[in-house]
Amino acid sequence: MDYFAGVDIGSTMTKVVIVSGRIESSLIGPTGPEHRKLANRVMEEALGQARLSFDDLTYIVATGYGRINVPFADRQITEITCHAKGLQSLLPSVKTVIDVGGQDSKGIKILNGKVMNFVMNDKCAAGTGRFLEIIADSLGVPLDKIGEISLTAEKIAPVSSTCTVFAEAEIISRLATGEPIANLIAGIHDAVATRIASMVKKLNVEPDIAVTGGGAKNIGLVKALGSKFGRELLVPPEPLITGALGAALMGKDIYEKYAAEGQKPTRIGKKLEEATFFK
Amino acid sequence: MTDIQNGNGLAAAEKFYAQYGSRARELKASGKKVIGYLSALGPVEIMTAAGVLPIRLKGNVSEAVTKGDAYMETIVCPFVRNVFDAAVKGKYDFLDGMVLPHQCDSIDRTNETWSYTLNLPYWHFLNLPHVADDPSIAFTQEILRIFVRSLEKYTGNKITDEAIAKAVAAHNQNRKLMRDLYDLRKSNPPLISGVEMMKVCVAAMSLPVEESSALIESVIKEVKGRAPAAGDPAAKRIMIIGDQIDDIAVIEAIESTGAYLVMDDLSTGSKMYWQDVDATPDPLRGIAERYMRKLKIPTTFIGSAPTYQGILEERFGHMKNYVQDFKVDGVILFIYKYCDPYGFEVPAIKSYVEAAGAPVLYLEDEYSTSSLARIKTRIEAFLEMIA
Repeated sequence: MDYFAGVDIGSTMTKVVIVSGRIESSLIGPTGPEHRKLANRVMEEALGQARLSFDDLTYIVATGYGRINVPFADRQITEITCHAKGLQSLLPSVKTVIDVGGQDSKGIKILNGKVMNFVMNDKCAAGTGRFLEIIADSLGVPLDKIGEISLTAEKIAPVSSTCTVFAEAEIISRLATGEPIANLIAGIHDAVATRIASMVKKLNVEPDIAVTGGGAKNIGLVKALGSKFGRELLVPPEPLITGALGAALMGKDIYEKYAAEGQKPTRIGKKLEEATFFK
Repeated sequence: MTDIQNGNGLAAAEKFYAQYGSRARELKASGKKVIGYLSALGPVEIMTAAGVLPIRLKGNVSEAVTKGDAYMETIVCPFVRNVFDAAVKGKYDFLDGMVLPHQCDSIDRTNETWSYTLNLPYWHFLNLPHVADDPSIAFTQEILRIFVRSLEKYTGNKITDEAIAKAVAAHNQNRKLMRDLYDLRKSNPPLISGVEMMKVCVAAMSLPVEESSALIESVIKEVKGRAPAAGDPAAKRIMIIGDQIDDIAVIEAIESTGAYLVMDDLSTGSKMYWQDVDATPDPLRGIAERYMRKLKIPTTFIGSAPTYQGILEERFGHMKNYVQDFKVDGVILFIYKYCDPYGFEVPAIKSYVEAAGAPVLYLEDEYSTSSLARIKTRIEAFLEMIA
């Protein structure tokens, strides 16, 4: 049996997926400054879950912003291409993907698992998971609760600033005037959704539309985005692993392409070792 | 003197690129006057004819703007701010003067900030028009004449029509040589990489025209002598479109993915070299026509055709030719943030070039390497997309 692994080192989370004919295992661990070096640890755990050893892996593809620093990977492919691939296997009807990650958000148009076009946010944190994290923190609400809380809002308190720093100041001053937290959180979700939607709409958006990445775990954000596109958006069962799954499947494709010609792709990653971020 | 000989052109280009302005500094020490100019609208022929050294000013993408912001508003485009910052920090302390064109708001409206802050012995604002109809060409001729008179007054030497005609011929020869070098990018793989080409283009704009020509000739010889490389038949051939990209950082980001950068439509690259100045009875007429009509930049509106499609052909037709002649697989349209003139043209350029058969990746960035990692992800994703 051939096993293929995808390693997605995002700004916040490191994801590993191992596939053969099906998903053998998937694991999510924090990237963080301390954990960064430990991409191999997440890989080890994923291997353990699948009852495999590193030598059982046929081909490994790394993706995400930390992709170049995975010494045990055989190939690097961008998260944009990997998301398209992963989505095709998870939700084949999807033609437009909105990925809301920790430090960026992107829109991807896909056809048969291939990228047709894409957009990515520029530099600023507005419209990213990080923005929601900072606001949740300043409101004293756990990040994983803000989605549900936003659904209890009586009305959406408009937040006019999309700059993270200014929005935080705006929220705090609105809080002082007695605006309920739920309304403010709904307002923040609406602001982020507006920002992301206006970027994604630069693409010729076609349904079905799916949301992936950490942002997809926030029901409030998914609903707010849905309202901007006038339809319900799909969310894969575990939205965080889309890129890593795509990476594993890309590895499988590459391997099979070579195999069809009676060849094998060159393995570069020989040993499971630490990522070299800080060297 | 420079030590350019046949066969060491690339090393010389590397040196002038890495130590930008070093030749100007030497010439200044030997008594030559050095005039800095900004953008593709610096009429180098007239400066050469005046016996001064024209040097195109650039910033440093790896250096943050620090001192400059004390004098110049931060709404000014990141490129102008960065060059100004470099000037304030003394990078161009060998300048005797500068000429700034009436071009975009970020240049026009900072003219006084530049002249007041740098306080150089010579200053000239070149009041060029923004359209290219016949009255504007006649107007440009007179504006160039005012520039000639002002340089005469500053240097104390008469600038004859013959001297201008001679300078025109020297710069045309320089342009022809550069086009010959660009031709060597048509093969697969190209004989000269995009990174090398960028260094040559940057070095060329810092040298006296004869030395610039000698440098290009030397590079041509060196590059032609290279053993034919096998190359990667799957590698994509990329063209970059933008204004003043004057650093190898972005080019390296493109070529490190395995792609070949084979052509550009940059104001530091082909825009400078593709169109000659015609020899006209009044030499200023030919110069006016070259800078206002032949040079295709977003701040000069060229559009005499009766239809929109016709205007697009006039403005962007050369890009279609480049796509065909250089067998371009994909185009990167790289625009600096807050560059209004280019920003306005993005949708038109994108749709026109895509209709010409090359997919376009539009990138907007600072004049800085701070966001290069993200830019690189986009470039890689684009190359994966067109693979």
